[in-house]
Amino acid sequence: MRKTELRAGFMVLLLILFLLVVLFGRQFAPNDPYASNLSASNEAPSAEYPFGTDNLGRCILSRVLSGAVASVYTAILIVAVVSVFGTAVGLLAGYGGGWLDQILMKITLVFQAFPGFILAVAIAGMLGPGLKNAVFSLVAMYWTSYARLTRSLVLQVKNEAYVQAAILCGAKRRHILFRHILPNIILPLMTTAVSDISNVILSMAGLSFLGLGVQAPQAEWGLMISNGRQFLQTAPWAILFPSAAIFLSVVLFNLTGDCLRDLFTERGEV
Amino acid sequence: MKKFILKKLGLFIFVFLGITFLSFGLTYLAPSDPAEIQLNKTGVVPTEELLERTREEMGLNRPLLVRYGEWLFGMFQGDMGDSLRNGKPVAEELAKALPKTLLLAAVSMAVVITLSIPVGILCARLKNRAFDLAVRFVTYLFASLPSFFLSLAALYFFSVQLGWLPVIASRSGAKGLIMPVLVLALSLSSWYIRQVRAIVLEELSKGYLVGSRARGIPEWRILFFHVLKNSMLPIMTLLGLSLASMLGGTTIVENIFSWPGLGKLAMDAISARDYPVIQGYVVWLALIFLLVNFLVDLSYGLLDPRVRKGQVERK
Repeated sequence: MRKTELRAGFMVLLLILFLLVVLFGRQFAPNDPYASNLSASNEAPSAEYPFGTDNLGRCILSRVLSGAVASVYTAILIVAVVSVFGTAVGLLAGYGGGWLDQILMKITLVFQAFPGFILAVAIAGMLGPGLKNAVFSLVAMYWTSYARLTRSLVLQVKNEAYVQAAILCGAKRRHILFRHILPNIILPLMTTAVSDISNVILSMAGLSFLGLGVQAPQAEWGLMISNGRQFLQTAPWAILFPSAAIFLSVVLFNLTGDCLRDLFTERGEV
Repeated sequence: MKKFILKKLGLFIFVFLGITFLSFGLTYLAPSDPAEIQLNKTGVVPTEELLERTREEMGLNRPLLVRYGEWLFGMFQGDMGDSLRNGKPVAEELAKALPKTLLLAAVSMAVVITLSIPVGILCARLKNRAFDLAVRFVTYLFASLPSFFLSLAALYFFSVQLGWLPVIASRSGAKGLIMPVLVLALSLSSWYIRQVRAIVLEELSKGYLVGSRARGIPEWRILFFHVLKNSMLPIMTLLGLSLASMLGGTTIVENIFSWPGLGKLAMDAISARDYPVIQGYVVWLALIFLLVNFLVDLSYGLLDPRVRKGQVERK
């Protein structure tokens, strides 16, 4: 019991530290992430450029640090939007029941019938490249899992004694939903959301890599890797370091999600 | 059984209509006017009057549902409109690229199955032993790396450093298939092995195993015949669902290795704002995914009488 708590606490602390580094990373950048120095293009890591330089002679460490905001915080924003929207749909469907449930779940079913990333590529492709469009396409891809999870959780607790008691006491529907049902299902939703951030980071990087996300010259990890692709032979560090950044953030969010899930399962709250 | 098939078929038709309607509706998201693209291509300076006439000719002014109906009807006849980029029929372009993507996905799936099921079973059997821990560590690693990084790393080692494999897959036949398949299969297997392990672990806790062991049945026989047979249904369902991420992966991998499949076609279409092709890409891949899962569903009912009689829900 103590061990799981300690581990979860440690992971959360580590995650907060990571988010701070992401937020203030730009201040620690040794060079201007947008200043190109053509006489120093594709240079190997050195004291001046700890991660080397890209084809335009821009400092990769500085670009990894300043690109972190675009990669990590966008993913958090997307998960925040989809979890709120999906949860709302799930609550309506699960608690409303009847025809409302039928309609909402059928819509969810249709969205889920698309292979996720394909739908995102098609939407982003139709709307045209850009960060805003990529965010929209990922929202369309990710909201369904929250709607389904919330609905199944609502159905589980809907007939619990405390909900029945609240109904008997004459509580309003809104009160029951937000005061009795939501607090009892919020933990599994939150752990799912934390783990999901890593999936969104990967998808977002995938879209940027295909040229559908953030546009040049802005620093973003997926785009940096896409850019470094042509110089794979001469400057592998241009790919290695942004990939390592993606890997690190994905592992952090995944591990934190796992630890939280273990903790809540142990306490019998999930 | 008949009732079960009819119910599934009804759902299939509903989702089919939903998928096609949504894919059709996607064109309404596009910021540029297809009529304008059409005119620009011919080099005519679009005036408002000319635009209006072209829209009329292309049937862009009619109501959404009418246009959807016609589009769907056309699709059944193999007519999905013409590419805005080169004027060729979209269906023809897609039909040329589809077998390439299917080949890539099918070979990768075969690798995933032959790799993941034995490894997953062994992991469950050897829970928390060195083999299990090593596999879990490696799969965690691969699941956390973007597939494009894996692709580029493979390119770097096998093509650039060692010179074993070609950089451009399409020009080199079967040899070109190795790296794309390797990347797709490894990234999906890293997820799938964990799922198989979890399913088999649950099965291993069941009582019949004690009976089998007491009767002196060899352990490998128990694992690969009794346990595997009983875990097959959830394993198959997950395999059907994981096709989604496999198809998503093909889009990235095809573009890196220049494999001329649907994903490559779609990205070329996106950069040319060729909307009918993008539409065809999403609708075809969604239909493949739908069809495979429909077949998985049906086989589930076929294999387990409890499912088709509605006594137990599929997991």
